[in-house]
Amino acid sequence: MLVIETEKLTKKFGNFTAVDSVDLKVDKGEIYGLLGPNGSGKTTIIKMLCGLLRPTSGNIKLGQTVPSKAVMRKIGYMPQDTAVYLDNTVHENLFLFGEIGGLPKERLKEREQEMLEFVDLTDRRDAIVSTLSGGMRHRLSLACALIHEPSLLFLDEPTVGVDPELRATFWKYFEAMVKKEITVIITTHYMDEASHCSRVGLLRQGKIIAEGEPNDLKKRTGAESLEDAFLVLARRNKP
Amino acid sequence: MNLRRTLAFTRRALLQFRHDRRTLAFVLLMPLLMILIFGYTFGGDVGNVKVEVANQDVGLAPALPQDLHMADNVIDNLNKNTLSIHNSSDPQEARQTVDKGNAWAAIIFPANFTATLIQNLNTSQVSARPVVEIYLDGSNPTIASAVIKTVSQAIQTTVGEIAAKLNVKSIEMPIAINQVYAYGGGDTKFIDYFAPGVISFAIMMVTTMITIILFVNERRDGTLQRLLASPASETEIVIGYALAFAVIGIIQSIVVLVAAILLFNITILGNVLLALLVVLLLAFGHQGLGILLSAGAKNELQAIQFIPLILFPSILLAGLFWPIESIPSYLQPLSFFIPLRYCIDAERSIMLRGWGLGEIWVDVAILVIFAILTLAGSVLLLKKRD
Repeated sequence: MLVIETEKLTKKFGNFTAVDSVDLKVDKGEIYGLLGPNGSGKTTIIKMLCGLLRPTSGNIKLGQTVPSKAVMRKIGYMPQDTAVYLDNTVHENLFLFGEIGGLPKERLKEREQEMLEFVDLTDRRDAIVSTLSGGMRHRLSLACALIHEPSLLFLDEPTVGVDPELRATFWKYFEAMVKKEITVIITTHYMDEASHCSRVGLLRQGKIIAEGEPNDLKKRTGAESLEDAFLVLARRNKP
Repeated sequence: MNLRRTLAFTRRALLQFRHDRRTLAFVLLMPLLMILIFGYTFGGDVGNVKVEVANQDVGLAPALPQDLHMADNVIDNLNKNTLSIHNSSDPQEARQTVDKGNAWAAIIFPANFTATLIQNLNTSQVSARPVVEIYLDGSNPTIASAVIKTVSQAIQTTVGEIAAKLNVKSIEMPIAINQVYAYGGGDTKFIDYFAPGVISFAIMMVTTMITIILFVNERRDGTLQRLLASPASETEIVIGYALAFAVIGIIQSIVVLVAAILLFNITILGNVLLALLVVLLLAFGHQGLGILLSAGAKNELQAIQFIPLILFPSILLAGLFWPIESIPSYLQPLSFFIPLRYCIDAERSIMLRGWGLGEIWVDVAILVIFAILTLAGSVLLLKKRD
């Protein structure tokens, strides 16, 4: 079942084309990685999929419909910035996003408990976020994106500036989510991380230059790593 | 609009204030501090103005039961709280003291003061008026008018005393001033006039500042992105925060009102609830303005730059300290564009004149329009996707 389908998705900022005719198809339960260097259009694609940016041209379908406030109930979004309220407690942040996500009161209580355990912040429930470490804030940010039980999750560079240990923990979380049939779209410029994805799309200058399973991409290019594969493909696709 | 989602924002913002003790203190103590400072510094009339008094009056002995020295009576009747009197024997010396800046005024009674005054009482036709010379340093208009007022009050009192003493029912004064008060009864203190302005101004200032910074932080931290990609609508976000500020505005107003009543015994003739409602309308409007302005600022430092831009025109043009009528006439029309003007106007009418909605509806309508425009503008701004 297709969860995301884009057709010739394009975004221009003035004369600059940030995203150029991207056709994206993501199935239910996939971890789809958008891979590419800074400025290749990853974040812009995610923002269009979340309804934060309006495409210049092209279409987006999320499930059966276009992005809208109604669809957002089923979507979780973890922006690049930590994006939690620093002057509120962990509990207050989770509660806010649970409430606006429309969880029934009782379910919200259970769900908050689950999330606190999931990201290992149970003992920090009543701490003001600004007193937490960067890693803890990141984990809270993920919990805020998940609390309302979305079936589709957008993670924009969730592992930037995160220490290796936490990065490994995060990937453990993401893989756990897929087991619950949550579809995950993740952007990263760490090529080594992409091996955790079920499929990756390599982005360069707003275009998808190659797409496939990580191992398949390596095989196709004869490269040892995804990073080398990207370099080979980038050279082939020079404008 | 979903009430539960809307209130979730209200709750979040209020909880943030509860955790941030310093900001909470700022929000509550700043208006209190303003009313205290203004109440105590501006509160009374002018006092302890240094004046030189040169009394040359020789008085009048004959034909009356006792010697008359009317100038002495006038001097006795001068308000000693307003004027700090130093007696001088030489009028020229007294004037020089003023010239040197060591006194604000020299009050000089001529030798024939009593004689002329009595002459005026005896004849029905005023031939020569008794003259008191006030040699004045007019560089400070407030002090100058206080001196003149004090002297003329003393003269009036003295004339009244003579009338009683001579058993004359009425004395025709060369100039008669008949003051009739429509409102305020003449005992309106400056603080009465000032308190409605302080409440309005404090709430405007706090609301604008906090909203700008709140939304600049929402943008900077990325939380706004998260809200916009959530099921919550832009209207729910704006109204939710507006309600939080309504709660804060009510608490602020109550703090200031209670302080003003307990400490300065200010007059509130009208409906306190109406007064609160009016100030809330201003808070809503300025909150919308704050959200709109926050879009033009990338960080807190840039946000703070907007604050004097709003504060100064409001302080100067809204009739907070001095009446709009005292602004140069070509600048007066500018005050029509300052929302604070309508709030202060309405608050004064409620508190000092005891007016109700029927009389202040124009002010209220303008504040409602201001709030609707800025809040709707904020919603549109947040809806913008490009």
